[in-house]
Amino acid sequence: MHLVVIGNGAAGLSALNRFRAIDTDSQLTLISAESGTAYSRVLLPYYLRRKIPYENLFIRRPEDYEKLGVRPEFGMRVSRVHPETHSLTLEDGRSIGFDRLLIATGSRPFLPPVEGLAGTNVCHLWTLRDTEQLDTLFQPGRRALVLGSGFIALQAAWAAQQRDLNVTVYELLPRIMPTILDERGAALLQQRVEEHGVEVRTAIHTERVDRSKTGVLTVHAKNHPPLEVDLIIVGAGVRPNIEFLAGSPIRTDRGILIDEYMQTNVPGIYAAGDVARGPTSFGETHQTHALWPTAVEHGKIAGENLTGRHVPYQGSLNMNVTEMFGITVASMGKFIEERGHSSHPVENGPSHYLKIVLREGVPVGAVALGGAEDAVILGRLRPWVRNRRRLPDVEGFLKGRYLLPRQVA
Amino acid sequence: MRIVAVDPTSCVACRNCEYACAFKQTGDFDTKASNIRVNFYPEERVCIPWTCVHCGEGWCMEICPAGAILRNPETGAVEIDAKRCAGCKMCLLACPTGSIHFDKVELVSKKCDLCGGDPSCVKFCTSGALQFVEEDEAYSFRRESLDAKLIRLFGLTKRGS
Repeated sequence: MHLVVIGNGAAGLSALNRFRAIDTDSQLTLISAESGTAYSRVLLPYYLRRKIPYENLFIRRPEDYEKLGVRPEFGMRVSRVHPETHSLTLEDGRSIGFDRLLIATGSRPFLPPVEGLAGTNVCHLWTLRDTEQLDTLFQPGRRALVLGSGFIALQAAWAAQQRDLNVTVYELLPRIMPTILDERGAALLQQRVEEHGVEVRTAIHTERVDRSKTGVLTVHAKNHPPLEVDLIIVGAGVRPNIEFLAGSPIRTDRGILIDEYMQTNVPGIYAAGDVARGPTSFGETHQTHALWPTAVEHGKIAGENLTGRHVPYQGSLNMNVTEMFGITVASMGKFIEERGHSSHPVENGPSHYLKIVLREGVPVGAVALGGAEDAVILGRLRPWVRNRRRLPDVEGFLKGRYLLPRQVA
Repeated sequence: MRIVAVDPTSCVACRNCEYACAFKQTGDFDTKASNIRVNFYPEERVCIPWTCVHCGEGWCMEICPAGAILRNPETGAVEIDAKRCAGCKMCLLACPTGSIHFDKVELVSKKCDLCGGDPSCVKFCTSGALQFVEEDEAYSFRRESLDAKLIRLFGLTKRGS
């Protein structure tokens, strides 16, 4: 059997590992658009703020692929998939056959429709190349605008601030971190960000960017005086890399639609990670998370099923954690109350906030701003959310009771 | 592999295990540094020391975006390489039993590494509550009365039931 994996990120690597742990005979080919061995996207901001050295970005060495019995094709894009002939066309014109295929091509950042935005000194923080470019642009005293206030945007802002740039954040929506924090958490974090000297503007509509001959960028926003900066970092969300599937019978809808076995509508063709829309813990059938943990899980289940097994996925649970502006920020599941939800918020001063959201006593999500121990609490809560178990006593849980719900024990 | 097994009926909550663990790591007795933690449940009159059980498919190990969590081939322990850890805390969110902690000085995650195969907590346990035994033996010295207490306390159920 010949398995071809497209993508050298969290999903692709996790699938390769799992597959090889079960099937030691089949031929494995990895095709990656990026030029070198795998690096960790999660770590890029940690390098930019000099928390880790450059070499720690790399999570695979060339010999790791060899050890796994994988033939890598780095720096190569797939231009077409032909399910009917079980083959791929590469951008250099070559054709590769496969018995089974995993598409784990990931996503790429989206450039919002702002006039004049595309051009020099406007970057994302997504790839290794973006990071290297930002690294040279991060000179003390320079002025940076961060467009967007999601996880990556704010980590970029923190890195820039730590490297002594003057940083401003523009968020289109009325509050920061709209998909990671609830309103209270966002307000507390914004206060924290501002204490670090970063200016945050919410509900601001950026309309146009002008470039001067000297490279200064003038940013025009609705009802707001123009802002002059030296660089712009865009963190306005990502889009799946599915263009090469145009005209193929593989079903897509803002991502590749997969079932609980990570299989697409075409038998033998699977998808995983940011590019895939799969089931969630809450019963949704097709959802994109574009999160590292979801990609790892997708890859693991896909890798297992690609060997011929038939193992269903229990569904992804969105979870986020990072350190930013000296505080731990974490969230999981449904952390904004919906109808029928109750919540259990705990707040101790401006630097500690923890809220557990429940539905009929079953935890459905949580959000935390504070220390590492809050991430530990969310970790302990995760099996309860996932297995939909009633938590007998939230106060007790927070004090360390209820080690594990029944199913996991 | 062998893991640190706990018999809470024997635990007298002396917290020697915490002191031993902290001392082994830092040369000091500040139990905040300990990877094993004794949990007290006064109403049930139970105290339970708890540390990593080195899961077969450690979710922390699979999820670590830095490739910093690996299994020690000799001891079987799931270990964090502090030189590779970026301090992203994803493992803290991944561990269902809260067995990974954060080193606030080094800003990296840390956890039990079985002291290289000779765990200090077991060595200095005063009551025999901690034992370094093969995994399948780890649950054998649970007793009926204790099981009842645990079920009440954690909503646990026996394996397979």
